[in-house]
Amino acid sequence: MRLELGSFPVTDIVFGARTRWQDSVLEIDARALLEEMRSDPRITRAELELARPGESVRIWPVRDAVEPRIKVEGPGVAYPGICGRAIDTVGQGRTHRLAGMSVVEVSEVLPHDAGGDYNSIFYDMSGPWAEMIPMSKLLNLCLLVEADPALTIIDQNDAVHRATLKLADRLAATTVGLEPPQREVFELGPVDPALPKVVYIPCLHSAQAMSGNGSNGFFCTTATYGLSMLTPPWPMHPNEILDGAITGPYRIATSWHLANNRILLELYRRHGVDLNFAGVIAVRTEWTTMEEKELMCLQTAKVAQMLGAQGAIVAWDAGGNEFLEVVHTVRACQRAGIKTVLLTSEDDPTGGAPTLLEPLPEADAVVSTFIGGSGYPGGSGPASSQMLPAMARVIGSPTRLVGAVRDEVIDVAGPMPPPRYNDTYGFGRYSGVEY
Amino acid sequence: MSGALRVVHFVNQFFGGVGGEEAANIPLEVREGPVGPGRLLQQALGEGGSVVTTLVGGDNYFSERKEEALASVTAALRSAKPDVVVAGPAFDAGRYGLACGEVCKAAQALGIPAVTGMHPENPGILSHGQQIIAVGTGSTPVEMPAALQAMARLALKLGGSQELGPAAEEGYLPRGIRRLGAREAPAATRAVDMALAKISGKPWMSEVPVHLPDRVAPAAPVANLKDATIALVTTGGLVRRGNPDRQSSGNPTRYYRHSVVELESLSGKDWEAYHGGYFNAIVNSNPNYILPLSFMRVLEREGVVGRTHQWIHAMPGVGTPVAKSRRFGEDIARDLKEDGVDGALLVAT
Repeated sequence: MRLELGSFPVTDIVFGARTRWQDSVLEIDARALLEEMRSDPRITRAELELARPGESVRIWPVRDAVEPRIKVEGPGVAYPGICGRAIDTVGQGRTHRLAGMSVVEVSEVLPHDAGGDYNSIFYDMSGPWAEMIPMSKLLNLCLLVEADPALTIIDQNDAVHRATLKLADRLAATTVGLEPPQREVFELGPVDPALPKVVYIPCLHSAQAMSGNGSNGFFCTTATYGLSMLTPPWPMHPNEILDGAITGPYRIATSWHLANNRILLELYRRHGVDLNFAGVIAVRTEWTTMEEKELMCLQTAKVAQMLGAQGAIVAWDAGGNEFLEVVHTVRACQRAGIKTVLLTSEDDPTGGAPTLLEPLPEADAVVSTFIGGSGYPGGSGPASSQMLPAMARVIGSPTRLVGAVRDEVIDVAGPMPPPRYNDTYGFGRYSGVEY
Repeated sequence: MSGALRVVHFVNQFFGGVGGEEAANIPLEVREGPVGPGRLLQQALGEGGSVVTTLVGGDNYFSERKEEALASVTAALRSAKPDVVVAGPAFDAGRYGLACGEVCKAAQALGIPAVTGMHPENPGILSHGQQIIAVGTGSTPVEMPAALQAMARLALKLGGSQELGPAAEEGYLPRGIRRLGAREAPAATRAVDMALAKISGKPWMSEVPVHLPDRVAPAAPVANLKDATIALVTTGGLVRRGNPDRQSSGNPTRYYRHSVVELESLSGKDWEAYHGGYFNAIVNSNPNYILPLSFMRVLEREGVVGRTHQWIHAMPGVGTPVAKSRRFGEDIARDLKEDGVDGALLVAT
């Protein structure tokens, strides 16, 4: 499977009379594009606003961020399966991407229909929060989009996310027929057989437990070729992920993070250098019974063995009980003789508590990406009492509901505690350190 | 030497030049200036600090007459008024290491910072490692100069009221205190590097030391269930309908107690779930799924259990850190114990 990724850098975005990419500038005909978004009768609002790095801007509420990608050669579509898109296997041919920007889905639509569900992610384009997240270094084209509240949560999610993808498609289409300024070829070609085989095991939360129908409805969550339900361990070629085969947000991780997955790219770029990248096994988490969880862990280790793995990197998109699948996968791989590293954020260490929910002795090689309850670097006291500075402009909703039962209204432009940070895909340098 | 920090150095009878095992019972001696390795310490401190007093104590004196020994140390420190205390290094000498740990803690109790040095597996670290600053050393005094260099550096920082950075940077043994920091390479690079080291059998350092959880010895089985009082506890987010207590849907700040003494069952008219981790509607149709009161009433009538405890405990378990969970657990257990409960059924979601 050979994929050529052509990058079209975007150094500026301007609103104009047509939609085109030229000399690293993306020109956007907002009126024509928004008309298309609004042609879906479920959509009640669609507006565009631009946020630039360094601006005193807060974007709220952020549900997803999508890097515009389009397949110009080879089967399928970028971001396949989700919101009714084609399900052909992707990862071959040529894909174009607009680099240095994202389409941010800004919407009040709730992600799931669990109890007391709420949105919690925002981006600042400057200040300490902007320092922490890769998204604040991008030109963020914000799609302010709302759906008819009379619809089910699933339908509302489908409507707003479909609009986001449609916009991303239109923008990526500006590169069709153009020669990409930068190209990178991704192919797991033969390498020195002495190099160790390493698999990447991303563990992805499934929103199935938060769904009334247990079906494959799209929530605001990650979907593999559109499926967000619990599925057995799913072997994938890394090229499929570069084409967006796993997409959609979970908490702070977005479609942009997945397509630019730092762990996957690290393994890929070292393929043939100091390792042999043996593939990806996508594992779904938040199974119900311990037996189901354990089964998935054992099956994951089995698939890793079938791929010939000598080593594995396990990472997860962070939650609570899902950690059992994650750390038991580490154990199952270790027991199968696969040397395994776990990449995770840590829980609050208050009172000397263990910072991993179930710290097994097999999890003896852990990369720590954050400490829960820390807020932002340099912030003092618990995260909930740390305040990010006020911002001059808000893109999205001017108010936010907070408090135990989310019935207190605060001004989004004002001081705000940082969202829960996580680094599922290994971009950052933050870590728990010992004193 | 004006401006130099006043340093008090603690050594055992051997390094104090009094003698070996035969002198291990000597009580605390207070001497002026540096003694034995104190001279090397003085060199390492340079202009920045001056060893004004050396305390020499016997290994057995400290282990067998600990209170008396520590009272003498405290008195000596009160009179010497040091800016910082240096103890040891003790290397792998167990009693000496324990004494160094105690001396450091006694100094800290007076508000005087302290630093010691010893092997990471010295009992002094195993007992006091979380409360003291200790440089890790090898097993034998061959490493004396290097250990004292490292200790002197930390003593000057601590005595000058400077805050210490992370253990790995400053060269002291980790105390089990974890804070947010930053590392050089992105997490993805660190993960791949660590995996390759592990595969090739090279040393690697986990960024999260294995910290096994507390093992709780199970309580003895309920001897006589048919006379027992059984309590119901749920982390399923049970609330009175409409959530009048304003319980959060996750990461709770407290738990709630409700009396069910007059109830046969939990009705969806009066109770519901408010929990951010699962689809609540099924539970709302029958709240007994997360707090099985109706089933307990059947067991009571059948004489299988004595009675259901009047008070139920409820909270949402989702997203609650271990430290908080431990506190809630201890508090609930105390409530139940005080109420004379014999057994509890914890329903998790």
